[in-house]
Amino acid sequence: MSVSVQETAATTVFEEPPLIGGKPTFSSITEKISGIVEGKTKKAWFVLFGLASSLALILFGSIGFLFYEGIGIWGINNPVGWGWAIVNFVFWVGIGHAGTLISAVLFIFRQKWRTSINRFAEAMTLFAVICALVFPGIHVGRVWMAYFMFPIPNQMQMWPNFRSPLLWDVFAVGTYFTVSLMFWYTGLIPDLATLRDRAKARFRKIMFGIFSLGWRGGNKQWKNYELAYLLLAGLSTPLVLSVHSVVSTDFATSVIPGWHSTIFPPYFVAGAIFSGFAMVLTLAIIARKIYGLEHILTIRHFEKMNMVIMVTGMMVGYAYSMEFFIAWYSGNEYETFTFLNRAFGQYAWAYWIMISCNVLIPQLFWFKKIRTNIPAMFIISIFVNIGMWFERFVITVTSLANDFLPSSWDYFSPTIFDISMLVGSFGLFFSLFLLFIRFLPMVSMAEIKGVLPQADPHYYKKHE
Amino acid sequence: MKFDAAAFKLTDLNSVQVRSLGIGVLGLLLTVVGYFTKTEQFFFSYLTAYLFWVSIALGALFLVLLFHLTGTVWGVTLRRILETLMKVLPYMAIFFIPVLLGAHHLYEWSHVDVVAADPILSKKTSYLNITFFAIRTAFYFTVWYLIAAKLYKTSLAMDGGAKPEHIKTLKKVSAPGMIIFALTTTFASFDWIMSLYPHWYSTIFGLYFFSGGLVGTLTLVIVIGLYMNKRGAMDSVITVEHYHDLAKFTFGFIIFWGYMGFSQYLLIWYANIPEETIFYLDRWRGTWPIITMTVVLGHFLIPFVGLLSRNSKRNYTYLKYMSIFILIMHWVDIFWLVIPVLHTSGVRFCIFDFTAMAGIGGIFMWLFWKQLGKHAAVPMGDPKFEESLKHHNP
Repeated sequence: MSVSVQETAATTVFEEPPLIGGKPTFSSITEKISGIVEGKTKKAWFVLFGLASSLALILFGSIGFLFYEGIGIWGINNPVGWGWAIVNFVFWVGIGHAGTLISAVLFIFRQKWRTSINRFAEAMTLFAVICALVFPGIHVGRVWMAYFMFPIPNQMQMWPNFRSPLLWDVFAVGTYFTVSLMFWYTGLIPDLATLRDRAKARFRKIMFGIFSLGWRGGNKQWKNYELAYLLLAGLSTPLVLSVHSVVSTDFATSVIPGWHSTIFPPYFVAGAIFSGFAMVLTLAIIARKIYGLEHILTIRHFEKMNMVIMVTGMMVGYAYSMEFFIAWYSGNEYETFTFLNRAFGQYAWAYWIMISCNVLIPQLFWFKKIRTNIPAMFIISIFVNIGMWFERFVITVTSLANDFLPSSWDYFSPTIFDISMLVGSFGLFFSLFLLFIRFLPMVSMAEIKGVLPQADPHYYKKHE
Repeated sequence: MKFDAAAFKLTDLNSVQVRSLGIGVLGLLLTVVGYFTKTEQFFFSYLTAYLFWVSIALGALFLVLLFHLTGTVWGVTLRRILETLMKVLPYMAIFFIPVLLGAHHLYEWSHVDVVAADPILSKKTSYLNITFFAIRTAFYFTVWYLIAAKLYKTSLAMDGGAKPEHIKTLKKVSAPGMIIFALTTTFASFDWIMSLYPHWYSTIFGLYFFSGGLVGTLTLVIVIGLYMNKRGAMDSVITVEHYHDLAKFTFGFIIFWGYMGFSQYLLIWYANIPEETIFYLDRWRGTWPIITMTVVLGHFLIPFVGLLSRNSKRNYTYLKYMSIFILIMHWVDIFWLVIPVLHTSGVRFCIFDFTAMAGIGGIFMWLFWKQLGKHAAVPMGDPKFEESLKHHNP
């Protein structure tokens, strides 16, 4: 049976502009992206790198002092044994999630717009996880015993507690980092080969030659490559969910009111994607401006990302309201107290920052004007980042500060070292990110070419 | 059953309609016997069957909303089937009347004397009382009806030629519709199922109920599609590529359901707080572990392994039996949620469990086929319809 449907007026509604703006050709894409890596270093890069690496030095200096003095230099007290270090850990792990979501989940959902942002979102994942791992590592107190987090056989016949979510964290985040790294590297191979072929200096040619693993771009290589990519995407997809779920069990397996809630795993995952997308947006807007990538990272990409931010923001809002409702519905006075205390107690300021930044402000994205306005979305993305840091602060600190025993209640105030380490971790993150965009192609050339109109086998026939 | 391929219309639906109606009426009549012989059992069996069919209609509503919001291509050809399932949802309000009448048998919180003697339950009376319970349910069905009616009507209007306004309307209804759907479905699951144990609570419960229902919807659509194809209807518009994608979604939401179920179980097991563990302990008493493990294996492990490979999603015979299996497991899941409240000592199946399923299901399917026959069986005016037919999995 042949099916014919008449062209209607509504057809035009779906006619989307091409993903890549301008009049791109395969070679113009290569020139543009490789040019960033091969050209002279921009002044703005030096300024930013100088700033970021100074902040990173502050982090290392603070860690050095922490090792010398002990974790007492932080503002943690009794009962607030988990302070900013854990808040930062959860925050950074969350930031990482957008990378894997974009590269793996959107790949499986056949979302072609991911190709412009997946490379640096994945790189961001890796750097965010590195920043995250610093914090539990230095929180153990006796750093020289940190290896004990791993199940290494030892002569004392002692093993880590496999029932502890803190140990699950080591496995979950470790796996996540490994698979993300493999995925990122696999995606890089064709692009590394391009850089190798274009390299003029001998050392550069050898280095890119080694890392491109003998890529020649042959048919068979592409076939294997695409299968490997699909399999890695399949492997990474459950990791998007598992990592932050495990992080959430650090809190949720306890019996502390405000921590023990069954919605925590999906709630943390939604929050992680939410904050990760906001960070990708922040970085993308800056990078696009500095390197003139307006035709590759178009307003359409940003609009779609803003929609993801809005949807995940509402999922987080759903979790907030479920927690609040169930706290009342449970009839449990401790639960009820904890949530009322969050909203109206000594940390009410933090709670309302969280609600405004995560639930209220992203609602502005309902308006197409705001969704497609670069300065507006930049500001909103910053608000989301702030809001998600405060979410972890509210969860971690409020539940501990007012525990079951009113006589032990205390108020958490950060010290200079809490602040220096948070700021320093941003320095580390941005330093790594800047190094990445200087030395590696920040947009996947091979994948961008796949979504160009020229990638259609019949393109040239049609346009003769 | 015949299919008019030019107008995309199903004709000669009489036999399937009569059969559905017959099964429905017979099932309901037999179930009514239960009211007079085993009143308690009757209400619990009825609630189980009711929740099964409502959850499927809700899943259909969700998918229609999702399709409009994401601008799906592959799903367009399936949308009318989903819209028709969604259209049956408001009728389910009528079937809620027995639940309301039997609230005294089903819900412990409806006993004023029990509540008065219980300090925790007396705190909840402002939410858990019959009047508010009825008002809430009426509210849920009203908003579901409004959303479903608007979406259905606009979709039908597109059959005669789509206009840009239609698509804008559909998107404009779907975006807030999705938010309303999320909240109402959650609270409906709290009201109808979670409050069977008035002391027990779980913040993830709404998501658990929703994800189970969605798996039911997807598999029911597969079964309906294959049923029609076998009779030579719609086989040109629902191809193996569409079944492949439906099966992928089923696979994905099987995992999602497992994720919800496992999160709930792990956290409750680990914290070991008596008022929470009661839910699982009740399902581990006597012969209940058999059903509990059936849910774990049948609703997660077997479909997970069984739908993993590409071939399994493209083989019609295999897919049909797998879908029917998953549908049965969805019923077992609801049974596992509801019945342990009644039979605390061990599993007891009752004839009314099955007659109620057939009764409500028969009427449900009768309404479905009747509605499906009224208009084109695919949204043929949708601008993406043609592209949807050509959909191809790489």
